[in-house]
Amino acid sequence: MARLNDDAQWIVLMGFLVSFSFFFLAMVINQSTVVGQTTAESVIEFPKNDIRDVREVIGESVKSDKYTDIKDDIGVISLQRKSSIVWYENTTETNPTIIEIHYNNGVTSYNETWTKP
Amino acid sequence: MKNNDRGQLYTIEGFAAALIMIMTAYFVVNATSIYTAGDTHINDMQLESLGNDALKMMDIAPNGTDTKTPLQNIIEHTPDVDGPGFNTTFSRIINNGTFQNPNTIQYNATFTCRYCSGSVCNINDNTLVINQISSSRNLTGGEHPVRATKWVIVDPPDTAPICNRDGEQAVLVEVLLWRD
Repeated sequence: MARLNDDAQWIVLMGFLVSFSFFFLAMVINQSTVVGQTTAESVIEFPKNDIRDVREVIGESVKSDKYTDIKDDIGVISLQRKSSIVWYENTTETNPTIIEIHYNNGVTSYNETWTKP
Repeated sequence: MKNNDRGQLYTIEGFAAALIMIMTAYFVVNATSIYTAGDTHINDMQLESLGNDALKMMDIAPNGTDTKTPLQNIIEHTPDVDGPGFNTTFSRIINNGTFQNPNTIQYNATFTCRYCSGSVCNINDNTLVINQISSSRNLTGGEHPVRATKWVIVDPPDTAPICNRDGEQAVLVEVLLWRD
């Protein structure tokens, strides 16, 4: 390659540098799809909606007079349909001031002691 | 620049050699990680959020009143009391698009309740009954659905018990969503 024709070497060198920079630019852009994908995966994996939903229904259930039945409903249905263990306890039966909430779906574990504001 | 114009091609050869070595190292290191192609997870996430949000919207009583929510009424089999049924409401929410042509998201909705054999429930009653609410299309098995769920506390009357139970109980609404 060298010494055969020494003309226009600068042009060839600059062309080479530009293509080299394009290559690195392409690698950076290539990473951006991976970033979007892993974000979406973690959003799906983290049960944000499940936890919010379970907190909400627990808050509703302690006001009910069928409190124990609903508590069993949540425990049994969670285990069979959502593959998650949900249990909770309110320390004062009527007009609860403290509720202990436990949630575990095998990946994420969530424990909360809710106190009346 | 004009002092010595020779040697550029040697520089290029040097660059090329460096590039080959860097690329080899890059591919060797990169080959160990598993790469799942495509961005199906992003679509799944959007669809799941959409379904969860739609169910959440349907479980809010109209105008901030203390009456039953549309979802509670639908499960208690009285959709006529307070507006349209599940299919109308849910389809309208999930297929509402910015553009003129609406989306074509299909769904299959069920709710799960816990069956109690006697008049009094206990924790050993762990038989679940899955009830069909509504479906926009039958699942054929080729779809790639995601699941959205919502807990609802319903209070069916004595005349129309759910799972052999009247009075308040918690049921789980499950919706499978997929794109056509």
